[in-house]
Amino acid sequence: MSNATKTPSALLSPELLAKLERMELVSRKIFRGRMKGERRSPRKGQSVEFADFRNYVPGDDLRFVDWNTFARLEKLFLKLFLEEEDLHFYALVDASDSMDFGEPTKLRWAKQLAAALGFIGLVRGDRVKIETVGQPARVGSPAFRGRRSLWRMLDHIEAIQPGEPTMLSQGIKNFCLRNAGKGIVVLVTDLMDKGGYEAGLKYLLSQDMDVYVVHVLSAEEIEPDLTGDLRLVDCEDGDEAEVTVSGPLMRRYKETLAAFVDAARDFCTRRGMMYLMARNSLSVEDVMTGYLRTRGLVR
Amino acid sequence: MNFLNTLSSWWQWAILAAIPPAIVLLYFLKLKRKPVEVPSTYLWRKSIEDLHVNTIWQRLRRNLLLFLQLLVLLVAILAVLRPSWKGEQLIGQRFIFLVDNSASMQATDVVPSRLEEAKRLAIELIDKMKAGDVGMVVSFCDAARVEQAFTFDRWRLRRAVEEIRPTRRSTSLAEALKVAAGLANPGRTSQDVTDYQVAEALPADVYIISDGKFGAVEGFSLGNLTPYFVAVGEVEARNVAVAAFDVARSETHPDLMQAFARLENYGPEPAAVSAALLLDGTEVGRAEDTIDPGGTTGVSFPLEAAKEGVLQLVVSEKDDFELDDVAHLILSPPRRSRVLLVTPGNEPLELALQTDSAMELAELEVAAPAFLGDEKYVKQAVAGTWDLVIYDRCRPKQMPRANTLMFGAVPPGGGWSAGEKVDLPQIIPVGAVHPLMQWIDLGDVLVVEATPLTPPPGADALIDSDAGALMAMAPREGYEDAVLGFVLIGDAPGGDGKSEQYVGTNWMTRQSFPVFVYNLFSYLGGAAGRSGVEPVLPGESFTLEHLAPGAKVTIESPGGSTTTGRAGEAGTFTFSDTDELGVYQVGVGGKPAGQFAVNLFHPRESDVPLRKNPRTELPSIRIGYVEVEGQRRWEPARREIWRELLLVGLLVLGVEWYIYNRRVAM
Repeated sequence: MSNATKTPSALLSPELLAKLERMELVSRKIFRGRMKGERRSPRKGQSVEFADFRNYVPGDDLRFVDWNTFARLEKLFLKLFLEEEDLHFYALVDASDSMDFGEPTKLRWAKQLAAALGFIGLVRGDRVKIETVGQPARVGSPAFRGRRSLWRMLDHIEAIQPGEPTMLSQGIKNFCLRNAGKGIVVLVTDLMDKGGYEAGLKYLLSQDMDVYVVHVLSAEEIEPDLTGDLRLVDCEDGDEAEVTVSGPLMRRYKETLAAFVDAARDFCTRRGMMYLMARNSLSVEDVMTGYLRTRGLVR
Repeated sequence: MNFLNTLSSWWQWAILAAIPPAIVLLYFLKLKRKPVEVPSTYLWRKSIEDLHVNTIWQRLRRNLLLFLQLLVLLVAILAVLRPSWKGEQLIGQRFIFLVDNSASMQATDVVPSRLEEAKRLAIELIDKMKAGDVGMVVSFCDAARVEQAFTFDRWRLRRAVEEIRPTRRSTSLAEALKVAAGLANPGRTSQDVTDYQVAEALPADVYIISDGKFGAVEGFSLGNLTPYFVAVGEVEARNVAVAAFDVARSETHPDLMQAFARLENYGPEPAAVSAALLLDGTEVGRAEDTIDPGGTTGVSFPLEAAKEGVLQLVVSEKDDFELDDVAHLILSPPRRSRVLLVTPGNEPLELALQTDSAMELAELEVAAPAFLGDEKYVKQAVAGTWDLVIYDRCRPKQMPRANTLMFGAVPPGGGWSAGEKVDLPQIIPVGAVHPLMQWIDLGDVLVVEATPLTPPPGADALIDSDAGALMAMAPREGYEDAVLGFVLIGDAPGGDGKSEQYVGTNWMTRQSFPVFVYNLFSYLGGAAGRSGVEPVLPGESFTLEHLAPGAKVTIESPGGSTTTGRAGEAGTFTFSDTDELGVYQVGVGGKPAGQFAVNLFHPRESDVPLRKNPRTELPSIRIGYVEVEGQRRWEPARREIWRELLLVGLLVLGVEWYIYNRRVAM
């Protein structure tokens, strides 16, 4: 492990880290966690917050019997408390070839965003997993927990390389198979999949996850600096399109792009997913402190 | 249409024929496109699909450039083939188009009019000019006007021709030829041998587009000019014209007025004409007659109560030339002349001036020579109160603003002088043609003694004698002074110291004396033409007299345009813009002060039928000693359009380039 990757500033600057320290991930749903954490859980457990009573059945832990009630009513009741558990946070990064475009590349930008969100999760004791869309179905990623796991998490993120061949919907399906639990999932992708993104997003919904879709586009996609007779080569599948870039075609392209973004936003909003379109020129800090805060992912 | 093969050998044709398939072949070869890697072709494909919705249009658009390229080639091949048809062209390099716009060119024997036809022919000639030829357009009537100086620009020549407007004036080809010759035959600018500023003589072809209604141009040398005559008009043109129109006192009934006119038939057929006389728009007489071809008829109308107004004579014959079918005449109220006689006493003269017939013409005032010193006289003399002042044996210090007649004295200044007295000079009447002396027989007149006159230069001697002029007349600032070198009644010192009168001539007892008095009043008194104001010809100037110097004069033309000016020092105002026919209204100082009429009394303009040379049966004109015959056919020539075709090709190429640069999607 090199020194460069050990420096958090490669992905996250110290100033950003300082700001992120004060933030926490917010889930719109209450999920069942695996370990005790700082989050409320639907499970009853050992906390200081009273939840309910129930009749004693043999085998129950006598420590939770409410002896005061027994003294009054001569019946055994068990005192139930709200359980506080950890939150599962998943950052699902699209590492396809198309993400390797732009300055900085969309993938780099996605990794920065995943690192920032992961850091918040670690600080707050949540269970953080950073996965990529192209991961094989059976190969999971390590879960990170606690501030001490920061370096490991950053190393894991830095190790993500572009060139994963899987299609978006298949990748999300694999993700869902690996991670049956509930939690917050932030999908960072450019949605540029010729098979469509709808099926994949539907998998995430079926998991009943709190889904955030961060749609990242590069300046080359929003305002292509192309002119003349060109043969456009798709970096992922090598598909070629012959175009003569003219004023009308450029207008038509921009209209198509706007329609594409609108359709994605519409699709997500209708299904209770949070959609955020971001261009790679935006700083991750702005996205964290501005856009994601207004959309309620962090506070 | 025929073609001229400009490609001489078969292999040139082979190359030309190979170009279109080559273009098509090249078109089907794939365009070499620059490969560019993009994140995804997903959006681009979608965009292209949208553009491909109108597939037919897209396909057309895709092939539009091919079509245009093939079109350019087609046009180029056509140009190489040099398509042409039989046409005519003008031989020469410099052309002068003289277009007649005189009155006769408004005849309608050629529809719509001769002038329009002339303009059409001129434009046709201009179109026959070759590239690089220069042309000039001159319109001419009694004066020539350069409408367009020499230019290569045929569009400007055509426009200059189109802008030629008709006039009502007579025709003078000499004027137009002088303008044309100014360039072709430059003369020395002076006799100075050191002057080398002489333009190079440039030969030019002169195309005279006219109806030939002008006299032979005499004494003109064509020099470098080559004349061509393009005749406009028909030999069969019909026209009945009012050739003259006047009003006079009836000879049989002196208290009646009589309007008479002369009608002429210039057409080839007898014409039954009906002439109506209108006074201020109301018909007061009508005459009908049949006039033989080339014949003349006179019509007269008695005018009983007519004292003033506008007389209009309208010929109702429908002919090809309308301008001369109407004539106007102004009847002004009769006004008696105001005559002052200054005499120490002259009974015979006073008697002669106060006869009934003389009193009809003039109002006489008699005064003694002492009146000349009176302030009243001086004022009246300056103000022009009198039309005529007769000084008998006396003379004023300053000549009045009036015509004068002097007996036995000469005007002060002006170059007049009288010689020594001579006895019984022998009279030689020399001025019989002068209006003042007409119908006067001096054969029986004796003059006892006379002082022969030395008149100023420019004077007319009216009665001469062996000793010198006895009567002379000289102009003075718009007036005329007549001076007699003898007296009718003279004063001679008598024996008792008193002056005695003696008779200086026996003229008073002769029949010619009352005639002289009548002439005197008519001519110098200005009573002549009182019955009608003299008509003016189009383009002639009209002079208003007896105006207060500096008076504001307004003249309104029949068309309604107004000209304003001020009378000169001599109390006259000359108006020359008399191009319109009809009645002009004159206003002086803002008040109506009369009218005058402009009529086309011009036999040459009215004689509209085209005249042919009897020998050649062709219309012709004569310039100097050269007979120029009408011509309508010109040198046959190939009319080619390869230049235009190449221009079209260039245009199509431009369109193609524009479309290519629009970079329409594939």
